[in-house]
Order: sequence, then structure tokens, then C-alpha cells
Amino acid sequence: MPSRRSFLAGLLASGMTAELSWADAGGPSHLSAAMTPGGDYVLVGLRPGGELAFSQPLPGRGHAAVAHPARPEAVAFARRPGTYALVIDCVSGAVLHALAAPAGHHFYGHGAFSADGTLLFTTENHIASGQGRVGVWAREDGYARVGGRPSGGIGPHEMLRLPGRKLLAVANGGILTRPETGREKLNLDIMRPNLTLMTEAGDITEQAALPDGLNRSSLRHIAGFADGSIACGFQWEGDPYDGPALVALYKDGSLRLLDSPEDAVRSLDAYVGSVAALSDGKIAVTSPRGGVVQVFDPTLGFLVQSLQADVCGVAASGGAGLATDGLGGVHHVGERLQRIGQHNLAFDNHLVAI
Amino acid sequence: MKYVLVAACLYAPTSLVADVNAVVTDHILPAHAAFDEAGAALVTATAACDRPEMQAAYHAAFDAWMGASHIQFGPIEAQGLSLAIAFWPDPKNQTEKSLARLIAAEDPAVGDPLQFAEVSVAAQGLMALESLLFTEREESPYFCALAQAIAMHLAQSAASLNASWRGDHAQVLMRAGPQNAIYQSQAEAQRVIYTALSTGLEFLHDQRLGRPLGTFERPRPRRAEARRSERSQRNIVLSLHALEALATALADADIPETRAAFAEAIARADALDDPSLQGVADPARRFRIEVLQQAVGTVQRAVDEEIGAALGVRAGFNSLDGD
Repeated sequence: MPSRRSFLAGLLASGMTAELSWADAGGPSHLSAAMTPGGDYVLVGLRPGGELAFSQPLPGRGHAAVAHPARPEAVAFARRPGTYALVIDCVSGAVLHALAAPAGHHFYGHGAFSADGTLLFTTENHIASGQGRVGVWAREDGYARVGGRPSGGIGPHEMLRLPGRKLLAVANGGILTRPETGREKLNLDIMRPNLTLMTEAGDITEQAALPDGLNRSSLRHIAGFADGSIACGFQWEGDPYDGPALVALYKDGSLRLLDSPEDAVRSLDAYVGSVAALSDGKIAVTSPRGGVVQVFDPTLGFLVQSLQADVCGVAASGGAGLATDGLGGVHHVGERLQRIGQHNLAFDNHLVAI
Repeated sequence: MKYVLVAACLYAPTSLVADVNAVVTDHILPAHAAFDEAGAALVTATAACDRPEMQAAYHAAFDAWMGASHIQFGPIEAQGLSLAIAFWPDPKNQTEKSLARLIAAEDPAVGDPLQFAEVSVAAQGLMALESLLFTEREESPYFCALAQAIAMHLAQSAASLNASWRGDHAQVLMRAGPQNAIYQSQAEAQRVIYTALSTGLEFLHDQRLGRPLGTFERPRPRRAEARRSERSQRNIVLSLHALEALATALADADIPETRAAFAEAIARADALDDPSLQGVADPARRFRIEVLQQAVGTVQRAVDEEIGAALGVRAGFNSLDGD
């Protein structure tokens, strides 16, 4: 008698994928890349209580993933500067498609789906020009490459679709790198990071940046609220003891740094690794370098921080937020961090809500 | 107290590789008691506003702080006192600027501890007191009032940390477990302490030594910690001793590599004969400071391998990845 899993795999093969939902993948609420104790890489699904819903192998270290809005499939991105992304069936574990960055491009490790789930967008570097690109892939055509357009800056990192809207936001980090020099930063003196909003068709509708003196603050990670505002997390390319606040809110056309006391700024060690727009309206940011999670009110600024070694992944959840760390911990993000799960895994940079 | 730990470990996921009780009772509590005492002595010393007497008390207080400054979790974190005790590094010269503002305005906040607690943290603490006592300044009544206000605030901070550790935080840390709101397992308590150790070593390597070293082409002697009071080298030596004591208390097994690495680094730090590290700008003397920094790097690796690995907290999957 066929197992449930092979039965479902058979369904997939016969083209009945439309019947499957995320419930068939064990009911995960979140995705994360991770490393096992044996040094293998996996994409895992987490349930709201911190338990593992599934674990599927990856060929190399992942960075972030993006979940299809309806179907139990996820696109897992290689760590920057990778050239592959895998579409993974989170029920069977099968690799449905392998996406290769077009010649002369590499991925930055993040992407987003269109509101109807038919298109996948990916942040990319056009290596020859150093210009950021957003690649477009058609799910219905087996994730065929169907186009690309400017990202609105250099070094696009995280991108997302604003909740409930057909509008994409791209964090253009502003930092030029080339594959032959790895992650070496080639333009720190003249970098110009920005937040770019564009339609799903690629028309740029708005761009925002911090004032000139803060151009060394690289916008890397963003999270969208239902009201269209966007929480922004920066990385300061300078003396960590001489840097500005690293969390901002984009709202009504302007980007505003949130108030943060000096010791809270220093705790981040010039580095925000992930940002979440929490379900209670607050903003959570993580710094694995500082080993800290900070919670901000979008109006009042910094509220509270909790220490947690190697914490990086953070995302909204039903009960405000969840955070993951490189030591296998899953934490509820509230007034303070509360550990709700512990796995024999090193969770990678990003936790993604489904 | 040993039995408490043994009982706790029955429910802990890791084996008995680290001794939280020893860290608390032999290291954290005595260090905070000594800092509290030095803070009180500092207040007494500022009463007569005699500069040499105040300078001596400042040194004693800074010495005591070096025994506790690497414990950056618990009460100091909850009360946000870290920068108010020692505002460094200070690349924007905020201490100078904040003191100049207070002095120019003869800000009356110095007369009221509650108000003084609200002035810029850069004008509070040991670095502000250093600037006041070790640069040329007119010894006006306001100078004395400011020195007394800084001393009083430091003493209150030290007393508050000591009281919090003694009051309940020591017990909270030693009684880690599922019912504990802060440390939900013995492993978590060990990890927090280990992080203090590794962060302290990193601060020593990257900031206390790395900042003044800068690069060979561009050394930054003015960035040496507490250079005006000529205690940059002393802070390095005391910091090494404090971190060694923490490592020894935390590890429940012999840690030969770590011991040897600390001995080497301490010997090199002791032998520097460069109180304010101004040798970073002298090619002939710079070499010895670079070698000391490498010796601290060796301590970092030994601690990672002998203690971190045993605790399952080896340096950062994410923190070293960066993206």
C-alpha cells in the first residue's frame, strides 16, 4: 500500500498539484534554511509552536526562501553570490525546478511572488554593469525566465511584495561587489542605497533614501505592514561606534530613522541581519553580530532588547513574532524572547512567514 | 551549593561541562562587590576635591570595574548602565563635548543625582571623570561639583548592580530551568556566560588593541582607551586577568591550551612598558603591540575550541556569515 507521501508524490507527477495546499506539507507557518549537525543543508518548515513541519535537503548553504502564496512550494536561494535557486515541493521534497541566473548575472538570495502567485521575482546583479536587476520567472511555464528590469539601484538584497497589494519593494543596498572578488565591497565612498517601490510590471513608482551623510548605511532588509509602510534595517559601513540608528520606517513617501538610544545602537554592532513587521504592529530586528533582538514601535522608536547568541531569522507570526538562531533555538518574540523550540540544527539568516 | 547544579543538570541537554555556580559565586559576585566598594570610596575621595586624591580613587575604581566590565548580561543589561559607567569607544569625542556643554552652562544638574542621571551618558562614568581629572582644567567650584556628581552617579550604578546580583540575579542564573523566566535551561545559562567571555576577548582584540593599532600606514594612538590617565596597558592586563578568571571558573575541566594562551598574552601585556599605547605609532615599538594582539587571538581560538566546542556554542553560523 502506498504511503501518504508517495501517494502525494504520485499526484504531483500526474499534474494534480493544484489540489495541494500548505496543510499537506505538515502545516508550516514559516520556512528557514538550516545546516544539520552532519554539515548537510536543508530547507525546513516550522509550525507556529516551533516544531518542525518538514525538512528537505538542499545542495548547498541556503540564505532565504520565499513561499508560494497558495501552493506548498518554496523557492530556496543559495547564499550570495549564488547562481542557483531551487523550487522545492514541500510535501514530497522533490526539486520541481532549478533556476539558474542568466549568463552574466548572479542572485542576491531573496525573491518574492506576485499577488496571484504566477510570477516569481528575484534580486540579481548584472555583473558587467554592476546594476541591480529584478528577474522575472513564470511559474506556469515551469519557472521559465520571462524578463528582467532594473532594480532601481546597485546591490538589491531583500525584496518583497507589500501585503495585500500588487506592489514590490526592493532594498537596494548600494554596495557593488563582483564574483571574482567575492564579497569585497568596491564602492563604499560613493554608495547610494535606496528603497525602491515598483509595480509587478516593473514601473518604479517611488524611491527613498536616507540623507546624504548617511549614504554608508546600506539598506539590506525590509518588511512590509498591511498599511503599506515598510520597516527597514541597515548595515553601517564604517566605525561601528560612530554609526547612526539602523532601523527606519518608510511611510507616506519618506524614510525616517527611528529613535534609538546610543547603547541600543551599539548593541547591533553596525549590523541588522533581518527585519520583521510583527503582527502587533511593532518592528523586530536582529543582529547576529551583536547577538540581540530589538523591538521598535514605529512611532516611538526603540522599546526593548533581548540577548540571544547568533540570532538572525525573525518573522511575524500569530503571536507577534518568531525568531531563530544559529544554535537551533526557536523563540517567541514579545516583551522578551521566550524559547519555544530547540532543534539540532543551525538556522540560517532568514525566517520567512508563509 | 554544588548539589544545586548537579540536580539542574539532570534536566539539562548538555553534560556537565561548565560550572555556572562557580562563575557566580567565585567571579561575578566578588567582582561586583569590589566595584561597589570602590565606587563608595570614590565618592568619599571627591568630597575634598583634591585632585591627586581623586585621581587615585579614579584608578582604584577603574581597576575594580575591569574585574566586572565583561559581565555585560543581567542587571547591567536590564538597567542599561554599560555606557553610563564607561563611555568608550568614543570616536566623536562625545565625552569632551558633553562635559564642555555642562561646564559652559554651569548646568545645575550636577546638584541633583536624579537630574544628573538624565544628562548625556557620555558625560557620566569613568571616561568623563578621566577627562575631568587628567586634562588641564580650572578647579572651579563647578569643577568640584561635576566631579562629585560623576562620582556619585558611578557609585550609585555600582551599588545598584551589586544589589541586583546579590538580591536575586545570582539565584536566577544558578537556578536556570523551564520555570525560569530568563534562563530557560542550564545550557542557556552557560551560553550566556560563554558569550560574555568570547565578547570580552573580542572587545580586547578588536577595540582595546585594534583601535589604536589602526593600520601600519595609519596608526591611531589617540584612540587608545583611557590614554589620558595612562591606563591603556593596565586595562589590557586587568582585562586579561578577569577573562582568564571567568574562563577558569566556567570550564569544569582542565583547559591547558586556554591556560597557556592566557599566560603568554598576560606576559606580553605585562612586558609592554607602554602605559598609553602610544608605541602604536612607532614602528620599533608597534611590533610588540601587534604580537600581543596576535596572542589575544590565540586565546580566542583556544577558548573557542576548549570551552565553546564543549558547550556547543562555537562561533557564529550567522554572525560570521554576514549578508
